[in-house]
Amino acid sequence: MFRKLICGLFVLCLLLSASIVSIGQGDGMITFEITQEMIDASPYLQSVIPRLNEEYDTSEFAKDPPYRIALAAQGTSNAWSALFDAHAFWYVEHLGEDVISELLYGDAQGKADIQVPQVEDLLAQEPDALILVPMGAAALSAPVERAMMQGVPVVLCASAVETDNFVTEVGTNLYMAGANLAQWLIDTVGVDGDFLMMTGIPGTSTSDIMEEGALAVFDSYGIEMIDKQPGFWSVAEGKKIMETWLAQHGDEVDGIWSGGAQMVQGMISAYEDAEMAIPPIAGGEMQNGFLRSAIEHGFEFYAWMYPNAMITICLDAAIQILQGEPTPRFIDFVDTMPEARPFTDAEAEDYYRPRWSDDVHGPVTMPDEKLAELGFLVEESG
Amino acid sequence: MSLAKPYDGAAIANRWRMRKFIADYGVYLALLALLLAATVLTPKLYDVNTIAVVMRQASQLGIVAIGQTMILLVAGLDLSVGGIFLMTSIVVADVTNGRDDLVIPAILISLALGALVGLGNGALVTKRRVPPFVATLGMLVLVKGATQAYTKGVPGGFVPDILGIVNQSWFVLSIPLALWLGLNAFFIFVLRRTSYGRKVYAVGSNSEAARLSGISVDAIRISVYVLGSCLAVVSGVVLTGYVGYVDRFIGTGLELDSIAAAIVGGTAFVGGRGGLLGTIAGVLIIQLLSTMALLMGLDIEVQFIIKGLVILGAVTLYSLASVEE
Repeated sequence: MFRKLICGLFVLCLLLSASIVSIGQGDGMITFEITQEMIDASPYLQSVIPRLNEEYDTSEFAKDPPYRIALAAQGTSNAWSALFDAHAFWYVEHLGEDVISELLYGDAQGKADIQVPQVEDLLAQEPDALILVPMGAAALSAPVERAMMQGVPVVLCASAVETDNFVTEVGTNLYMAGANLAQWLIDTVGVDGDFLMMTGIPGTSTSDIMEEGALAVFDSYGIEMIDKQPGFWSVAEGKKIMETWLAQHGDEVDGIWSGGAQMVQGMISAYEDAEMAIPPIAGGEMQNGFLRSAIEHGFEFYAWMYPNAMITICLDAAIQILQGEPTPRFIDFVDTMPEARPFTDAEAEDYYRPRWSDDVHGPVTMPDEKLAELGFLVEESG
Repeated sequence: MSLAKPYDGAAIANRWRMRKFIADYGVYLALLALLLAATVLTPKLYDVNTIAVVMRQASQLGIVAIGQTMILLVAGLDLSVGGIFLMTSIVVADVTNGRDDLVIPAILISLALGALVGLGNGALVTKRRVPPFVATLGMLVLVKGATQAYTKGVPGGFVPDILGIVNQSWFVLSIPLALWLGLNAFFIFVLRRTSYGRKVYAVGSNSEAARLSGISVDAIRISVYVLGSCLAVVSGVVLTGYVGYVDRFIGTGLELDSIAAAIVGGTAFVGGRGGLLGTIAGVLIIQLLSTMALLMGLDIEVQFIIKGLVILGAVTLYSLASVEE
């Protein structure tokens, strides 16, 4: 009986190790291995993984240029989306009118309730393709399905929806992004470290999926967070929470996981006020304000990228679809934009741009003149 | 056979006194209870550093709550303060672009713009009879839209280093705390000891009676809205220094928290009753709840539930007391 049990356990271990799936985040320096158990627990991974090796036969959408493309964007809500839009308009101009004759634009102001009817309005104008930056995974699923039923191919850009009925998604594996940040923190601090975790806005898919990936890694090492709170991707909230954490935990904190660079700016400010040394932080981005503070204060960090310039890849994908070429169902921007790979504090100076304003999220593929026109180039403060 | 319950005047009087006591002092008792609970649940709260953090954060809410209380006293409400925080932050960063010597002009411009917003709110409420909720909500959208149009969604500029002084603490004292206490002392004096203060209460209690007694009701209401907006600008400057960056989320939620603090502090939604001492206690309760929840590591959902329950509890308590009156 005992021998049977041992044999059973051995077989189970073999099966588990065989089911480990490796899906790294592009050229990221950290590669965390995802187990079948994690896939089973994550609807996001269940949606992304099968699409990694799939292609969509787009022959039904093939037509001659020029194309009319609809862009349902996040819109005027922050600098990230302002640069996203700027990249879109610049790239359409760059491609020329013989490729894209018109870019029909919808500004969701960062809200799903505005975006849903807006997508309907855009579809009423009978575009050749729809590029959607979904403001809500659930809310935008039905409009995506309707577009596909109407024969308008949908490219999801920078975020996901809850249906699989679209042509392709451009982004990155957010689960892996969160997991890699956690893995770096553990590698840097050690498994015995005491960690804090600050997430973005609860309920938004980007934040929730990154958190899910990070927690899977922490759990796999048996690490329990000292505390986990949402910082709402806000400098002010990040600082408020960090101040209280410092009062409560002070020197105990060995490392922090953050779901965004804005919140790290708040954390840095709280540490500065408390005159305490900043521990390693996983969760920076190529955001100029964050990089300026990080260089000034000199601490260990690991940054990932979510470039607004990915809209150029989304536009390329839409053109590829309309040309009837088979299109991958998941396009990781790191594969076509190698500079958008994660980096550490050792490379901070390489990524910091003194002439960019604090709000600029890189990498930027537009020429400097365009940035200047938009007010993103500044003289250094006197 | 049923017997009519004998009339017991003493019992009714006692019950009335008890409810009056709760209405008058309930908020202070609640604050005391919270502080006592903290000795067991979150003893870290009593560290000097934690107290300094709590007071600094409470001051940001407290300054705007002064204006909100005065607006509630004239039976008004101001949701537009949320837009004023962002507008102030943008003006300060844009005008100064990091230069300390331009801070005063930047603050003066912000105050002028804030006063204009307050004037708009007051004029809509008094001259066009627009309900305060609708008028100030419209103004909030207008101000946010205008700031977005001006910045094209990308607030630029740098916050001057000198504003970083709001982050310094000496023991538990900080500039925001001193400002909050100073402004409270001034406005408590104004409300209690000046004819302007008496007019504010009179307008809120019964505007028709106030008008018949020769008070310029509209002028009082408009002036209170202007004061409220200017205090929101002051709070916006403090917040900008605190964050050190033009954050699009700056002050998010403070407009509702400031109303909640005034209501928890005993200021009546219908106007004419309440005051700034109660609001101070209300602000401290709301801030302590947030800090204690964080110290206890409670989930954000639980934090919202607790805050909601406290507000509902306070409103229920005050409404019971006012029914008895």
